[in-house]
Amino acid sequence: MPTPVEDPNKEAFLARVRDALGRTSPIMVTPDHPTLKTTLPRHEEKIRTTKARTEARRSQNVARLESTAIAASWHVHRVSDAEIAANVVAEIASSIHAKNIVRTAEDIFKRVDTDATLRKRGVRSTVLASGRARRKDDLKEIAFKADMGVSGVEYAIAETASCAVFQRKGNARIATLAPPVLALIVEESQVLETLDDFFAIVRFQFLTNRGRLPNYYNFISGPSRTADIEQTLTVGVHGPGEVHMILLASA
Amino acid sequence: MPDVKTSQFKSASVKALADSNIQRALGAPFAHFVDGRKSAIDADFTEESWESMRDRAAATKAHTIERLDYYLDLLDKNVRRNGGHVHFANDAAHANQIVLDIAREHDVKTVIKSKSMVSEEMGINAVLEKNGIVPVETDLGEYIIQLAKETPFHLIAPAVHKTKGQVSDLFEKFLDSAPTDDIEKLCIIARDVLRDNFAKADMGISGANFIVAETGTVVLVTNEGNGRMTTSAPRVHVAISGMEKLLPSIEDVSLFLRLLARSATGQRITSYNSFISGPRASTDEDGPEEFHLILVDNGRLNLLKDETLREALSCIRCGACLNHCPVYRKVGGHAYGWVYPGPIGAIVSPMLTGLKQGKDLPYASTLCGSCRDVCPVKIDLPKLLLDLRHKVVKSGAGAMPERLGIRQWHDTMKTRKKLEGKARLGRMLQGLVARKGFITRLPLPVVSGWTKSRDFPALAPRSFAEIWRDDLSGGDRS
Repeated sequence: MPTPVEDPNKEAFLARVRDALGRTSPIMVTPDHPTLKTTLPRHEEKIRTTKARTEARRSQNVARLESTAIAASWHVHRVSDAEIAANVVAEIASSIHAKNIVRTAEDIFKRVDTDATLRKRGVRSTVLASGRARRKDDLKEIAFKADMGVSGVEYAIAETASCAVFQRKGNARIATLAPPVLALIVEESQVLETLDDFFAIVRFQFLTNRGRLPNYYNFISGPSRTADIEQTLTVGVHGPGEVHMILLASA
Repeated sequence: MPDVKTSQFKSASVKALADSNIQRALGAPFAHFVDGRKSAIDADFTEESWESMRDRAAATKAHTIERLDYYLDLLDKNVRRNGGHVHFANDAAHANQIVLDIAREHDVKTVIKSKSMVSEEMGINAVLEKNGIVPVETDLGEYIIQLAKETPFHLIAPAVHKTKGQVSDLFEKFLDSAPTDDIEKLCIIARDVLRDNFAKADMGISGANFIVAETGTVVLVTNEGNGRMTTSAPRVHVAISGMEKLLPSIEDVSLFLRLLARSATGQRITSYNSFISGPRASTDEDGPEEFHLILVDNGRLNLLKDETLREALSCIRCGACLNHCPVYRKVGGHAYGWVYPGPIGAIVSPMLTGLKQGKDLPYASTLCGSCRDVCPVKIDLPKLLLDLRHKVVKSGAGAMPERLGIRQWHDTMKTRKKLEGKARLGRMLQGLVARKGFITRLPLPVVSGWTKSRDFPALAPRSFAEIWRDDLSGGDRS
């Protein structure tokens, strides 16, 4: 994709900003800001220690995720193997009398075969991907009609019960947003301790290979909610009102 | 730009005080805001650790704003490298024109909007409508006030002044729905109508909570999911933001997300955070084909130029200063007469729309300091309000009686003789109104308002200087 052109108004705009700040010339060196100054080798070191700490504290992090998730109105299911995980998805589908389910094409489905368990119960599961000769508008239509969405995640963050979902081939944005019920399958190896850990990793990906970083990712940290009428909490406005986190022990 | 009614602060306040719906809305819901914030902070932080986060956030914001030209340039380069378009808009009209041009290029008929305060500054809905484009707000609160043709009552709870009965009436009138007092049903009615619009909209307009310069990323925070829907469903996404919303690095974001969610709604984190760095990739399944970021000045240079008031540009629009302000909690959001209410609005609105008409706003504060104490980025709001009062007086826009009073004071304090002379005169005159050492009622215009709710201590029979001179100095004055 060609780089869009620079706005012709930019230079004059920046000159006025500079003038308002009482400076006459642009700043040419990277300013001294702690999160901007770290060099790649030092950042690499930081990622290594982050990964080691994450590994060493996995069980504490998973326990913390479970408790923050419950506090944020997630239904948490801790499961020991992939077969049970697939059954949990099927049970959730039965509990809401789901007929149509959409899912993404995350790698987790190679391990957790939800299609088979759902098929056994007579529930149709559709992979929401345009690769299967579907236009984007069709994706929207299918997702809006689905009773439930299922996906894997990139990371889950224990501090805030946030599931980071990355946009890429096979991961439609709408799959985790439109259906009224959402089930996300989180592998314990994907659990990070804090938001800082997550953003350190994202910045590392940006510095090393920005091509791998998608232009769009999301945190899903609980059900869609509003308190816009009389400050009364109501769930399920534009997104799912019922959210399930299936915490799967690592293989 | 929407009508600026900042000059009507006093009359609008009187009206708000007499409006029982507004007074009801300013009661319990706001106790909920205040308590929710406090318990969310106490759950995870000590006083010291919360303070140090505020300090860090304030320093990060100050750092960025002092180098705003640098970071804007960095942002521009990175967003474009990600395949997005960047526009620099001088004022509201300029920004509206940019949006219209994009809309025309893509033959846009329906626009869905996620919350954007800057788009309120621009009055963009009216502009779109005039050009045959239908704008639909998707934040439930914003949608309600769009139907009611009002401006937001609060930064994050725009329709908090509406009762469920009023919402039901609005929906019945505009959406043909059956009346109900069930809030959940009202949400579903709105959702279904908005779903239709999500399905057909060609363009999504959002605001930006933070913009990361290094990665060229717009961070969008919503609880309902309308932010995600707006930035995913249509063909084109336009993000509109004030030019001051920048953060240097993606690693700064965690600090601000922690502060924002707790300060705004008392949550550990907002339900949805979207990180948008450009349009969809060709291999992506969905998402907009084009991404535009419009960075708006619209008077912010007035704040930037002023070394004291510049601090107001650090605001992250959490609304905590409104929730804790004894003035806002009585007069509500509409009295402030423009887009931004409360203590932060009393600074930003006059600086963006003119100090002369907004001259009453800096006085809409008791200077109690609650706003400063709860501000997640530690803006010293009382200091800024005082500075703005200073500017009002210096510009000659201050109230006439105040100016006369100060001139008299200045004249009186010049010499001891004058002071003692005036004090004698005062003691003579106060005999008519003073009772038991207090003046409880002054039958003069202007000052009678003051004594209506307060007593003024009367002048003592003898001043301290007189007592000292005659009785206490021991006569050894030399």
